[in-house]
Amino acid sequence: MGKTSIVKIMERASGHPVKVGDRVWCNIDWATCRDFGGANAVLLFEKEMGKEAKVWDPDKLAFTFDLQAPAHSEKVATNQKIIREFCKRQGVKRVFDINHGIGQHVMLEAGMIKPGDVVLGTDSHMNLLGSVGAFATGVGNSDIAASYIAGKNWFRVPETMKIEVTGKFKKGVCMRDLLTHIIGDLGAGGMDFLAVEFTGETIENSSLNERITLCSMVTEMSGKVPLIMPNGEVLKWLVERAGPEVEKLAKELKADPDAEYCKVLHYDVTDLEPLASCPDAPDNVKPVREIAGTHVDQVHIGSCSNGRYEDIAAAHRVLMAGGGKVSPTVRTIITPSTTEVQLRCVEEGLAADFLKAGIVFTNPTCSLCTAEHYGAMPAGDVGCSTTNRNFIGKVGKGSHTYLMSPMTAMATAVKGCITDPRDILK
Amino acid sequence: MSVKGKVWKYGDDVNTDVIFPGKYTYTIKERADMAKVACEDLDPEFTKNAKPGDIIVGGKNWGCGSSREQAVSCIKERGIAAIIAKSFARIYYRNCFNEGLPIIICPAAVEAISAGDEVEIDFEKGVIVAGGKEYPFPPYPEFVQGLIKDGGLIPHVKKELGLA
Repeated sequence: MGKTSIVKIMERASGHPVKVGDRVWCNIDWATCRDFGGANAVLLFEKEMGKEAKVWDPDKLAFTFDLQAPAHSEKVATNQKIIREFCKRQGVKRVFDINHGIGQHVMLEAGMIKPGDVVLGTDSHMNLLGSVGAFATGVGNSDIAASYIAGKNWFRVPETMKIEVTGKFKKGVCMRDLLTHIIGDLGAGGMDFLAVEFTGETIENSSLNERITLCSMVTEMSGKVPLIMPNGEVLKWLVERAGPEVEKLAKELKADPDAEYCKVLHYDVTDLEPLASCPDAPDNVKPVREIAGTHVDQVHIGSCSNGRYEDIAAAHRVLMAGGGKVSPTVRTIITPSTTEVQLRCVEEGLAADFLKAGIVFTNPTCSLCTAEHYGAMPAGDVGCSTTNRNFIGKVGKGSHTYLMSPMTAMATAVKGCITDPRDILK
Repeated sequence: MSVKGKVWKYGDDVNTDVIFPGKYTYTIKERADMAKVACEDLDPEFTKNAKPGDIIVGGKNWGCGSSREQAVSCIKERGIAAIIAKSFARIYYRNCFNEGLPIIICPAAVEAISAGDEVEIDFEKGVIVAGGKEYPFPPYPEFVQGLIKDGGLIPHVKKELGLA
């Protein structure tokens, strides 16, 4: 019987053979924190090990200031300072301060992530790094502090679900719609504790931003790690950023053809239509045409799920096809995932079009995925967003959010109510 | 060890945002203060009236969503004796062992227990006693038992590495 990707990754990281169900100690390639969680993790480490204690390897720590960037209050500013000073004392160089963007995206662009890497982070969407074949997972402060001691942590070797995807998306439909479909199908706990390999022609031909979208939303089904080994253009991009060994790793860590899966699912996207997650849960899924016309107060495009350049460019195409203006009754906010994405939007003229359209085009952050950030909504307001969660109260007590693709979100901003993007992209 | 307490009962997919609202994650660092806002957006009655020794009973996928450990700390600090659920979201499950909050997976007991019931949990025997009936639950995996015995992940790592 062959091996799944996660079994191969954990054998490499633990240095010995493993089987599904084993609990094994793995070497950590990156222990990362955000401005959220980071201060608590470093304070916990110092409390447990002493103020003078050194982390196992400062070159394997990273901090990303992505949630409240720039700091919106003195308390947040103080948290960020705690991290900066810890990094100075410990000699940590990978500090991505407030001018960088969303952690996983920044680390990907910086060439820090390779297939098979074991990455821990205080971000439940850390596992989107499975889009380049890394085993990345969200953890709490204790797991980070414990990892600082010796660069090791324990994991259960998970069962793997395989999802094969075939077909081509029709106009106005994209990877986000497929994910929304899968969440509706499997439910919020549908991947609990599982590794998930995405395969099939649709995946093999997909771009990095599509793979990121797909992998980021696995968290909303409580999955442990999504995995897609890089190929084609994604492999080329990653080799340029992270070095030539990526190619060898991607090949070695690909699942064997006779690997054992706990479940195999098949989806064909040919007849897929635009979908939305309705209030107040990602798995409360309906076709956009069924909720079309719903009043909306705010639209937001961005986040680790859909804040790449291609996502923003897809929204831009809908905007221009719809006349280049958003409805004056809808507050529209676009947040690129990183400074690199933001700069490209500026250089290629998208940013100017957004400003002329009446859109707030912000610096790169996690923005509305975090409470008390700009874009908070008052009670009674309805929002549409490309973020990954619409839990009750997340963006403001008494407000409600629909989750959707960047194209549907922009069509909604243009028309002032929930709109199927195919009505604009005719 | 056995505990006996009054039950607060909830449904499936209770997420960490309602257990510990995101707006507090930047500002509250003291554990005692975390306890004061526990479950604020899930059940204000719990926030006001939950007592040490009470027991939470949840449905499937308890603790889904964000990785924030405060969603465990606030319940542990509130003195909640245990959480019984049909299943736990994996990051929450891990954080519970790291924080030393007892959790039990027992779908049959969840079905049988109602809000306000008095329930007893005998950890040694591995049974929940509710409404005069016993509901057995499986022992923790051996590895996890080691974590619990050592008092959580950090002491366990120190011991494994010979630092303690």
